[in-house]
Amino acid sequence: MSLAALLRALRPRRTIRPTRDGWWCLGAAVGLGFAAMNTGNNLLYLLASLLLGLIIVSGILSEQSMRRLRLAAVVPDEIYAGRATVVGARVRNLKRRLSTYSVALEVDGRRLYVDRLPAGDERLVTWEARFDARGRRRLPGVRVTTRFPFGLFVKAGRLVLDEEVVVFPAVWPVDGAWRRRLGAGGARPRRRRGRGHDLYNLRDYRAGDDPRLIHWRSTAKTGALVVRELEAEAALDTRIVLVGDGAGDGARLEAALSEAASLAAHLTRAEAAVELFGPGLHVPAGRGRAHLRRLLTALALYEARAVPAPPRPALRAGVAEIEIALG
Amino acid sequence: MTVSASSALAIAVYLLVADGLAALFLGGLLGGAGLMLAAAAVAASWWQAPLRRRIGARPWLGTAIVVVAAGAVVLEVVTVAASMLDAFTHLLLFLLLVKLYTRRTSRDARDLAFLAFFMLVAVAPATTSVVFLALFVVFLVVGTWLLMLRHLVAETEGAPPSLEARRPFGLGRDLFALSLAASAATIAITTVLFLVIPRVGQAALPLRPHVSRLVSGFSERVELGAFGEIEADSTVVMRVHLEAWRGGQGRPEALPALRWRGIAFDAFDGRAWTVSRSTLRLTLRRELPVAFPVHRYYGGPVLTQEIFLEPIGSEMIFGAARLLRLHGRSDVVTLDDLGNVAVPVPSARLNYTVDSEPETGDPRGLNLADARLPSDPRWLARYTQLPPVAPRVVALAQGITAGAADPYEAALRLSGWLGRELKYTRVLESPGAEDPLEDFLFVRRAGNCEYFAAALAVMLRTQGIPARVVNGFQRGEWNPYGDYFIVRLRDAHSWVEVFVDGAGWVSLDPSPRGVPEPTAVAARAMLWLDALRLSWYRYVVSWSLHDQLAAAETVRRAVWTRSALPRVALDWRAVLRAAMIVAVLGSAVVALGRRRRSAVGRVTDIPRFYARALRALARRGLTPGAGETARELAGRAQSTPVAGAFGRLTAAYERVRFGGVALTADEAAAVDGCLAELERGSR
Repeated sequence: MSLAALLRALRPRRTIRPTRDGWWCLGAAVGLGFAAMNTGNNLLYLLASLLLGLIIVSGILSEQSMRRLRLAAVVPDEIYAGRATVVGARVRNLKRRLSTYSVALEVDGRRLYVDRLPAGDERLVTWEARFDARGRRRLPGVRVTTRFPFGLFVKAGRLVLDEEVVVFPAVWPVDGAWRRRLGAGGARPRRRRGRGHDLYNLRDYRAGDDPRLIHWRSTAKTGALVVRELEAEAALDTRIVLVGDGAGDGARLEAALSEAASLAAHLTRAEAAVELFGPGLHVPAGRGRAHLRRLLTALALYEARAVPAPPRPALRAGVAEIEIALG
Repeated sequence: MTVSASSALAIAVYLLVADGLAALFLGGLLGGAGLMLAAAAVAASWWQAPLRRRIGARPWLGTAIVVVAAGAVVLEVVTVAASMLDAFTHLLLFLLLVKLYTRRTSRDARDLAFLAFFMLVAVAPATTSVVFLALFVVFLVVGTWLLMLRHLVAETEGAPPSLEARRPFGLGRDLFALSLAASAATIAITTVLFLVIPRVGQAALPLRPHVSRLVSGFSERVELGAFGEIEADSTVVMRVHLEAWRGGQGRPEALPALRWRGIAFDAFDGRAWTVSRSTLRLTLRRELPVAFPVHRYYGGPVLTQEIFLEPIGSEMIFGAARLLRLHGRSDVVTLDDLGNVAVPVPSARLNYTVDSEPETGDPRGLNLADARLPSDPRWLARYTQLPPVAPRVVALAQGITAGAADPYEAALRLSGWLGRELKYTRVLESPGAEDPLEDFLFVRRAGNCEYFAAALAVMLRTQGIPARVVNGFQRGEWNPYGDYFIVRLRDAHSWVEVFVDGAGWVSLDPSPRGVPEPTAVAARAMLWLDALRLSWYRYVVSWSLHDQLAAAETVRRAVWTRSALPRVALDWRAVLRAAMIVAVLGSAVVALGRRRRSAVGRVTDIPRFYARALRALARRGLTPGAGETARELAGRAQSTPVAGAFGRLTAAYERVRFGGVALTADEAAAVDGCLAELERGSR
């Protein structure tokens, strides 16, 4: 066992600190003890013992309250740099019979209070967190504390839930210039139902259908309400190419990665296939939310380094290519 | 009936305040009228919420009041206060009332609890009554509840406005049970701490001595008839616990001549007995288990008594005759050649242990070298000293003792004649100018024990037999619950000690009352309560370093005895088999425990709010079917008036459970609202 491990093992599981009331109680116990010794009065010894007994019982009950309390982090799948996100912890009381009373989760300067957690029960506690930069980041960590039962001492456990999360680059709505540029390539109809412009199918009217989609000619012909189903439309499939390595200008690099992430999010929402290509990274083309997470994860974990860009595969027909300079 | 947390807190505060006031009354720091006034002021503060608001609007007012009070207390200490304790008590009362009339937050409840606690502290030097124990336990139980409640209320007040914090704080039965358990644990730990904290240091600051009751009959000069006024008084004056009876036969409480000797007198002037002189002053070091030698040991059985003597204004140490040794806590013990033992703390309750060698059998058979009649004529003159005695008294004594074989037989004859021929009475009339003894012997022919004792002593002295009068107490009432005698003022008694050559001073009781009277059987509850009171004195009020050492010695002996058991030859194969069985059983227990824990650990994944929603829906008769999804259930609930609320809760449930995302503060608030709507609708 290394020295560090030994020290870690020897470190107390809890720390105890008197509150202001606790200091009063300790002071009164010491004062009474002195008075008892000075006078030899056993009733003063009794009262001093009462205060000491309260302090000991306080320690026992607070330990009982914090025993077998398990925390599990509840972290959203997507965390974006610069944007507030809700993080949570699922607090479970694994004790068989005894409830946990009056514990607080201290996280990032905030105190989240749980008044009572019955045996075997759990509670979800959430708070708002914000990460300013992309990449691997640690959660601020949660410390379980309690002043139970008398408010004389603050007992605190070790820091938990200080685990790593991947923070995606900041994603913003793409601006008008990008919209125009992406629109110039033309939308591509897809052979499935959607909200595009081309006709996909005609079918009988169902409750809830948009009246504007009623196909009057067919309705007149058949005598029953018939509605149009439209074909879905998708933006042009796109390859985003990161040019340069970004080693020179950090601010420029972050802005470029954020721009790439915003474009990827926009294109994914428009149901386009997006491919990412850059120095030391290549995410093949794909669609959907899961694919967007892969793209954002790659962008989040990108580190500026002088890696020669691999040769670009040939661009398939109908696929646009956008270059973004990393600086 | 449900009680809100703040009401429960207020009730606890007022209970503690009442406890503190009762303690002040018990300790005599607050008289009856003061108690009534304080109680009325405290009770009135319960309804003074508007006044509290007005005072609260002027924060400077509270500060000004406290400053004025501090000045008043200083003035009181300097000018009129009888002691610092009185001034401290008045300050406590004042602060208590100020706090009661200005309390707003839970912090004020804590301050009031502290003030009530300091009332108990103030009373501690002023009382040793067992009622303090009751007040202490009440304070402990209510105080534990108050501190716990105050903590929870303060935490709830300070919590941020989230979903959890908005839930009203509930006073569950389990919280109350926990508080009671905490009280019980505090009592147990307090008891242990009290017993083991070393009693070190000196009593340098005795804050308030006990006001003693002065009982006549035990000073160095006692008029005949001094016991007259107390012989009907049932006040307990001491408790005598019989600890050991070494070398004796039968039960010690059944000893026929058991009395508690106090003071002996050697000089008589015709109306009063006095102690002519005292000798020998010795110092006993405090707290050390050093016995103070009183009388030479003659080799008979020894009775050890632990005595708890109430303050009666007398310095005398009481105990069964003959006192051999005294164990006590007093710095100074005075012993004179009459066998009188005294300590100079007549106003304090005394606890001491004495070893005595009771007189058994006929003393004439003894031939003790140390108990020979002294040849010093001054000694004989001292114990045969008499004032002018009427000739008919001398003649009477001569007539009774004529033909006696020895002085002891003469003494027995005189004692027997007095007991037979004269009557015992508590009704004492002044003899006027008449000689009291002559009046007793020839005119009234009735008197109390003092007259009998004085008559016997005088008649013995007329015959040249050394005698002296002794004042003390009869044995009292036996309490079987604590194995001790309860001695009351009405048990005060006088008898005679006569010197028998070869046996020393021997007691004779001529009074008809001297024969042990069957005591009235007190109610068992009263005896039990008195035993509790004695335990309180023995194990709390009088607990000392000596007791701690004795207890430690008892524990040490018990441990030593156990470890000193004879060694048994070990069969190692049997030990191995036993170890294997224990290991297998232990593993099974651990495995079972883990299974149970893991079973407990499998907490359902249903969020609590959805579980609550399901319960509310169930009250409307709508429960999920086997295999029915949450959405299907929501579809079935469309026909109910709470369809909207339940639909929103279902959506939130799906998001939390299957989406793995936490609710935001806004969503949590919305869920809270939906739950409220659902539960309102289902009641």
